[in-house]
Amino acid sequence: MSQQSAFSSSGFDFSNSVRNNFLQEKGMPLPKATSTGTTIVGCLFKDGIILGADTRATEGEIIADKNCEKIHYITESIRCCGAGTAADTEFTTASISSNMELHALSTGRKPRVVTVMTMLKQYLFQYQGHVGAALVLGGVDSTGPHLFTIHPHGSTDKLPYVTMGSGSLAAMAVFESSWKPNMERNEALALVSAAVSAGIFNDLGSGSNVDACIITATQTEMLRNFVKPNERVEKERHYTFRRGTTAWKSENIRDLIVNEDITLVGATGDAMDTS
Amino acid sequence: MEPSYRIVPPSQIKTASISDTAGSLGLHDTLHYGIRSLATEMRGGQFENRIAKWEETQDNARLHMLANLYGPSAPMRLLMERQIVSASPHMPGMPQSNIHLDILMGRDETLDPTDFFLGLESGPPLSIHNEMEKKLRL
Repeated sequence: MSQQSAFSSSGFDFSNSVRNNFLQEKGMPLPKATSTGTTIVGCLFKDGIILGADTRATEGEIIADKNCEKIHYITESIRCCGAGTAADTEFTTASISSNMELHALSTGRKPRVVTVMTMLKQYLFQYQGHVGAALVLGGVDSTGPHLFTIHPHGSTDKLPYVTMGSGSLAAMAVFESSWKPNMERNEALALVSAAVSAGIFNDLGSGSNVDACIITATQTEMLRNFVKPNERVEKERHYTFRRGTTAWKSENIRDLIVNEDITLVGATGDAMDTS
Repeated sequence: MEPSYRIVPPSQIKTASISDTAGSLGLHDTLHYGIRSLATEMRGGQFENRIAKWEETQDNARLHMLANLYGPSAPMRLLMERQIVSASPHMPGMPQSNIHLDILMGRDETLDPTDFFLGLESGPPLSIHNEMEKKLRL
């Protein structure tokens, strides 16, 4: 009998790569993936971690999704914000979430943030930056609250406050001026909203609403559309047409029932015999 | 693979080879694969090699370190177990599944994209005779 390779295949088919290189040289552009542009932030406070994100997804110059969710679920008390290519962040975080669930069942312990971070960085390093996912990972586990940032090539940083995405400079400016250690919940939430709002108003790639997620040792609270600074105003005039604007000239009603023949079934005393 | 501490596959010199399209005589098989062209001879480049050889390289590094700690018999035993278990009775065209090998390789507790995308990157084999030929010759 034959030997099959002990290793799983990479899952990619490169047979079109010569053709694609040729086409690119001739000037045909690669299709653009939906990117998230984005401002994502994370901040450590007294009781745990607060993550924040805007809700705009762009496709080149067009807004593909005005209210997308960028705070992804990893485990009960670990969440991950994703910037970069939308498909990459969603797929990577979903995949890691599944693997973490299996890992937690296998070890019998509550999952740790460093485990998620290690899985993500090893995966991203393997793909050499082709997986365009810049992530802000935060959570509370048995060792305390942790906040990490993971770049598309696989490098990570552990910090008390982080920002990623195209709006990261605007958000970081807000953090740098106002962050202090051991903030209260309300203070920290206001700071995170301010940081994401700075990204929304000063960066073209970020916009729409602010999402926030507060993770503490006891519970995780997801505040979807926490602040909505970009709601569309109600139009001043009404543009609907009144009934009767268009006059009709002729009317023709066609009955779908051509011929109806009713036969009674069982109504004449063929009752069920229950003796 | 020869023992080494590398955790990342080494970058290869760009080559063109006919190993993919070679027939029984060792030359490019025109009847099967068409006229000899660069598309069939080129490998996908550095990136393809990196992800194709990733697991093997990491595994090799781990086995090398195991040999340093416990002696050369330790990796030998593991490789022997793998080899015994890889003797697959399945037909080459049908979906392959080897749970014993998955357990030995540590894949029973992880989910890979290849697991749920069901290997759809290559379709059903064009000719089962060729596949069986390749399989039984080994």
